[in-house]
Amino acid sequence: MKKKKFNIWPYILISPALLIVAFVVFYPIIEAIFMSFQNYDLRRPDKISFIGLKNYIEMFQDEIFWTAVKNTLIWVILGVGLQFIFGFILALLLNQQFKGRGIVRAVSLIPWATPGVLIGLMWKWIYDGNYGVLNDLLMKLNIIDQPIMFLSQTSTAFSSVIVTIIWQGIPFFAIMILAGLQSISHEMYEAADIDGATKLQKLFRITIPSLKNVIFITIILRIIWVSNSVDIIYSMTGGGPSYSTQTLSVYIFNKATVLDLGYSSGMALLLMFMLATVAIPYIRKSFKEGA
Amino acid sequence: MSKKSFANKCFTLYLPLGLILTFLIFPFYWTFVTSIKPEHELYGATVTYWPKDLTFASYQKLFGEFNFLLPMFNSLLVATITTVVTLTVSTSAAYAFTRFDFKGKRIFMSLFLTNNMFPNVLLLIPLFAIMRSVNLLYTPLSLVVAYATFTIPFSVWMLTGYLKDLPNSLEEAAMIDGANRVKAFFNVVLPVLMPSIIATGVYIFIQSWNEYTFAVLFTNEATRTIPVTLNNLIGQLGVQWDLLTAGGIITIIPVCVLFFFAQKQLIEGLTAGSVKG
Amino acid sequence: MKRLLVITLVALFSVGLFGCTAASNSPSTTDETDSSTNKNTNSESDDGEGPTLTYWYWADNSDYSDLMQNIITEFNETNDKGITVVGEEYPWDGGGFMETLFTASVGGGAPDVATFKLTSTPLFTANDLLANLDDYIENWDKKDDIDPNIYDIMKTASGTDSIYLMPWNTQVLYVYYRPSIFEEAGVEVPTTYEEFLTAIEKTTMDTDGDGQTDIYGFGMRGATGGQEPWGSFIHARGGSFDDLTSEASIRGMQDFIDIYENGYVPKTATTDGFNEIIANFKSGHTAMTIHHTGSSADMVETFGDDVSAFPFPAGEGQWTSMGDTENVIFESSEHKDAAFEWVSYLAAEKGQEDWTVATGNVPVSKTVQELDFFQENEFMKASIDGMSYAGIVPIKDTTTEWINTIWPNTIASALLGERSADEAMEILHEGLHEE
Repeated sequence: MKKKKFNIWPYILISPALLIVAFVVFYPIIEAIFMSFQNYDLRRPDKISFIGLKNYIEMFQDEIFWTAVKNTLIWVILGVGLQFIFGFILALLLNQQFKGRGIVRAVSLIPWATPGVLIGLMWKWIYDGNYGVLNDLLMKLNIIDQPIMFLSQTSTAFSSVIVTIIWQGIPFFAIMILAGLQSISHEMYEAADIDGATKLQKLFRITIPSLKNVIFITIILRIIWVSNSVDIIYSMTGGGPSYSTQTLSVYIFNKATVLDLGYSSGMALLLMFMLATVAIPYIRKSFKEGA
Repeated sequence: MSKKSFANKCFTLYLPLGLILTFLIFPFYWTFVTSIKPEHELYGATVTYWPKDLTFASYQKLFGEFNFLLPMFNSLLVATITTVVTLTVSTSAAYAFTRFDFKGKRIFMSLFLTNNMFPNVLLLIPLFAIMRSVNLLYTPLSLVVAYATFTIPFSVWMLTGYLKDLPNSLEEAAMIDGANRVKAFFNVVLPVLMPSIIATGVYIFIQSWNEYTFAVLFTNEATRTIPVTLNNLIGQLGVQWDLLTAGGIITIIPVCVLFFFAQKQLIEGLTAGSVKG
Repeated sequence: MKRLLVITLVALFSVGLFGCTAASNSPSTTDETDSSTNKNTNSESDDGEGPTLTYWYWADNSDYSDLMQNIITEFNETNDKGITVVGEEYPWDGGGFMETLFTASVGGGAPDVATFKLTSTPLFTANDLLANLDDYIENWDKKDDIDPNIYDIMKTASGTDSIYLMPWNTQVLYVYYRPSIFEEAGVEVPTTYEEFLTAIEKTTMDTDGDGQTDIYGFGMRGATGGQEPWGSFIHARGGSFDDLTSEASIRGMQDFIDIYENGYVPKTATTDGFNEIIANFKSGHTAMTIHHTGSSADMVETFGDDVSAFPFPAGEGQWTSMGDTENVIFESSEHKDAAFEWVSYLAAEKGQEDWTVATGNVPVSKTVQELDFFQENEFMKASIDGMSYAGIVPIKDTTTEWINTIWPNTIASALLGERSADEAMEILHEGLHEE
């Protein structure tokens, strides 16, 4: 590769993307950093002043905050993990030859194409303890004899919401990985066939290595997206009952909508910090700078 | 084909595919059934899996008095422009990130990512003020700009991933044959990258088609998009299930149809690419 | 061949799109210039045309949104000052409406007038966003058409002696019940709190003898909004919002928990919101539930004669929640005089009558209250009977957060047995009265 010589082209190529993003986001992020060191609560605008680290200290003493952190971890690990596994399987299936493949591909996009408003309401309706179809099905199949109050008790609410986010995210992984699969050249598989490789060997020796970067990136992007997602939890349970489904992003959302911006900015920055620790090792490893 | 291989196909293809698809499609089916059920059947003593009295009144109402076409058009407009703008600038940025070595690459790459980590709800007040000061408020363009801020970082990263997985040898061969970098990109890289660009495009399109938080703030009656219109159906006096579910069905279908055509194109793009490659 | 089809489709698509954009853009740009000229220079020579007002409102269903547009059209045609109101509908979004309104107004893009909820008053007045209406009301010829205690509530909400909210309509909560279920269970309409609790117990029935409850005595609301009916239980034991940790308040809370634990309400009560309690009542799942006249038309449509109402009965104390919707004028509006014409049209003139008759809300205008429609309706009567002891949750700057998150989560934990009544009340008291 060419080294040392200064090349203006890469900067020109990234500048349009960078400018649009910078136009909108940098100012609010910097503002958030400032707000997090103030008791910036618009409900009490006269009292706003610098308070140092008080927001952060308060966070560490806040029981609800810790519940939210714990919930965020479960939400992200289970949510993204299972989305990925099912999405990957679906991508492999959709990459095979069969009749009606085009239609099946289009149809499997449905969860993702559903507006957020509707996802929460529809699933809430499916889970309903009195008229819900899920309870009805389980009772008809004689699996249960009493309806389960899926969203109304702390023992089942969170898992029910996680199932919904898994449902919504499977198509994302499936479509993204499917696109990657299609860029792998056939010759590699043909060569492997000649060597008499089994299907599983081909999966682990050709498919997964050739998609390494795509897999990493989809997972990182999805972790970020899922940990920041509010609408599904918000419309299904509002974070309840008894805070059992409240993740950090829902807590941030709740605090921000009552205009306690100092506290919610602090939490948002902390969440960003946690996400960055997940993503940065990957960036460091795979984008070593030449100069 | 032998019997054995058919049985084999059942276990490795049809069965798992059927299970996953059932999980994915059932809620959609349920939405549809709800949209054609009269209200008394919704809260009836028994759950019905196909309505006893079927009614399409909600669909008529949606397009008749409710004028659902306007928000559909607005959503289409915003989603299309966002997709085109985002894909153009992100492909060029991703190409730079994977094919050049330059100072600050890691920092720029991280910058794009931190942006997606910041919760939207904290962007609302400053963004509203920015949009107002540049006179974009209540125009479709305000949404394009707002959406681009989270679709661009996403797409830059996604496309970087795809490009990193494409061997450099492809275009280097073309460049040795005398094509310049630009020509090599358009003739060799782009066709192979096409499926990935389309997949990313689908993501951008859906995100901007369905986004609510920014849309409610940056649009007015004339520029309202679908999610805001659907949300208008949930008032303090309950959910208008019939209209809401019908609206949902009508929102989902165009996206799937669009993708159906896009993925056909995707296969053709691929064969074209591999012939050249 | 396929490829050709795709290309044609894409081409058609884009041509259509750009055609439409061009077409739709030109009128909308002119619109904007119009409204901005109107906003920025109010004393312009505008050909005898009056000012244009932007009005943001939410509608609880699509019929109400048509109704509001009709009222606006009628006002625009009939007012003699040439005022044009432009109505912009925003989703209620479970209260998100108020957040959108706030974001827009601190960002400098407030409308002239908007519909409003009492609980948000401290937030908006603390940021100096609302116009003071004292002088306007003082000089208003219909001032006395609205009961003084309503003005007092508006003053309490702002925490000052000034009025920032123009009354529009109210809703008083009462108990809906099913006479047929009462008859089956052999209970009379309760007149005391104790009788009410007994009625809840007795109307919880297993009608088909399979050992499972088929009809629950009461539909309890544990999600956001449930603090209103809950307040009636607290007050019936002699407690109050001002001291939620008093023995009496805790007794009321204990009643609430007992009703849940004894299985007199559906187990989903911890997360049941408005939709659920109404659905349960309308499907015959519950014998009683608490709501206001906004749902009465729907109830009658479902049950005909088999639904009726009584006011929440008195125990050691008596209280019911008064809901409300107001209109506000923004401080940034350039046309406050015109805006007042519009809000007073909604408060005491034709706009008041049209809106309340069609929606079944309780009018604030005495003249409108006198109409036969309101005098003869049994649900209206239950509302008006409740007026004398109706109140509101104390309005502080903490109230919104308390209603949205603290109350529902704490109540759920108490109902599910994670917290005792006094622990829960401790948290609720602190959350509401925190300084």
